[in-house]
Amino acid sequence: MAKSAAELNEALAEAVVDMDEGAVAELANEVVDQGYDALGAIDQGLAKGMDKAGKLFEEEEYFVPELLMCSDAVNTGIDILKPHIKMESAGEKHKIVVGVIEGDTHDIGKNLVKVMLSSANFDVVDAGRDVPPAKFVDLAVQEGAQIIMIAALMTTTMDKIGDTINLIKERGLEGKIKVVIGGAPISPAFAKKVGADAYSINANAAVRIARDMLGC
Amino acid sequence: MAEEMTGRERLLHALAGEPVDRPSVISACQYATYELMDAVGVYWPEAHSDAEMMAVLSGKGGAEVIGLDAVRAPYCQTIEAEAMGAEIKSGGKTHIPSIAKHPYTIEDTPEFPADFLQRGRVPVAIEAVRLMKQRYGDKVLVMGGIGGPFSIANSLIGITPFLKAMFKTPEKIEPFLEIGLQAAITFGKGYIEAGADAIVIEDMMASLDMISPKNYRQLAEPYEKRLIEALDVPVIIHICGKLDKVMLDIASTGCAGISVESAVDIPAAKEAFRANGIKTPIIGDISPSGVLLNGTPEEIKDAVKSALSRGVDIISPGCAAAPSTPLRNLQAMVEGAKN
Repeated sequence: MAKSAAELNEALAEAVVDMDEGAVAELANEVVDQGYDALGAIDQGLAKGMDKAGKLFEEEEYFVPELLMCSDAVNTGIDILKPHIKMESAGEKHKIVVGVIEGDTHDIGKNLVKVMLSSANFDVVDAGRDVPPAKFVDLAVQEGAQIIMIAALMTTTMDKIGDTINLIKERGLEGKIKVVIGGAPISPAFAKKVGADAYSINANAAVRIARDMLGC
Repeated sequence: MAEEMTGRERLLHALAGEPVDRPSVISACQYATYELMDAVGVYWPEAHSDAEMMAVLSGKGGAEVIGLDAVRAPYCQTIEAEAMGAEIKSGGKTHIPSIAKHPYTIEDTPEFPADFLQRGRVPVAIEAVRLMKQRYGDKVLVMGGIGGPFSIANSLIGITPFLKAMFKTPEKIEPFLEIGLQAAITFGKGYIEAGADAIVIEDMMASLDMISPKNYRQLAEPYEKRLIEALDVPVIIHICGKLDKVMLDIASTGCAGISVESAVDIPAAKEAFRANGIKTPIIGDISPSGVLLNGTPEEIKDAVKSALSRGVDIISPGCAAAPSTPLRNLQAMVEGAKN
């Protein structure tokens, strides 16, 4: 007997947590074949699974490699489901610019934040790695993003974060564009000193912070 | 109080768990800062690829200007990967070099170059250690810095493909770990031949911020252990991030000291060490971002006192110093250990 949409969504979430790309592909195809709501399968299935994986990460049950595997499973599912999303059901999304600070090419943390934000239904503008302060601010203005999330993975590059925040002030954008920072060498004390609006301890916390800031 | 010991004696005593005239202060990771460059008149990017400049910035800068008990080279963690074919992007005046393109993909079979010691900046770092040993070897300990096998292996194919392969095709990462080990042993022996008193392994990718304790035990620790067994001088391991669940495993590598960040619960680690009869000193944990970069000298002296009271055996920044860290703050770290 065919599974209900709710059952399929639950199975999708579970397959994401289990890092099982093959199962995700099968279930996503079943959603399409049954004519169930593709966006619902992303929100109630894939995103829910990623949310659970994020919680396991915070509980130190899962680590970065596990999250990467889960996110691969999510992307497999999205690739199958996306062409079947009915346009009117997709609401307007908040934009967030994410990137790795100038001098730093370690983008694993940034990529995880991107995955978590995307599966939480934010529109993520990826500035890439080795991003100069001006490029962060320019991108946020161009894209109409209210939040910039900056990662630094090395103590040797983190001072450029302060430059980005100062630039926002210089251009009179303080309050209009908020800055969230994170990465291994970053501490809450450092975030406070450089005037960041928030410090995010990990990719999962970044989602909570974004939701709080945007009230969504 | 008059100092009775040279930095070299003090650090060797501290590593051996013997009495010292005052707590030893080093920087396990890189400590070149813009103000240190001004103080000795040598700058990045030139100092990354010139042995004399590297010896002045690290040697004179570390031993005389900051007053550390040990000096070390180099500044970045890209030398091994470059010697094995990675494309490097210069960090210019302000940053350290980074990897622009990894030399391999997970599908490749890596080969260890027979002329590793002659490649890229490997001879530069080794020569810098030789010069520092000649000039400062009677006063301070001279240390050569290498990557850990796990971190070098990562740098050959990139962290994300590496971590995914750990799940999907674990058999394919083994040759990279073996090559990483071979590079680290060869580099370490090169330093020792040039006169290095100690080796510092930076195995930053083996952090629990990246991998699980199980992964650490399977893929990082066994290689660190083989590396340390192959090097016949004291070897300090530095790993970033939270390490609480693997502190005993790190100690079991036979390292001479463990360098950690403030994310580690040091009293708990010391307690576990005592219960298991482990005497490995803990090095750390003055926060580069929390106090060194933006704090006042007084705050740094307090941080030194706090570290000592929590059981830190040898004072060091918890990770590489940010290049814009004020010189007086690094000096305050040494001052803080004096009274």
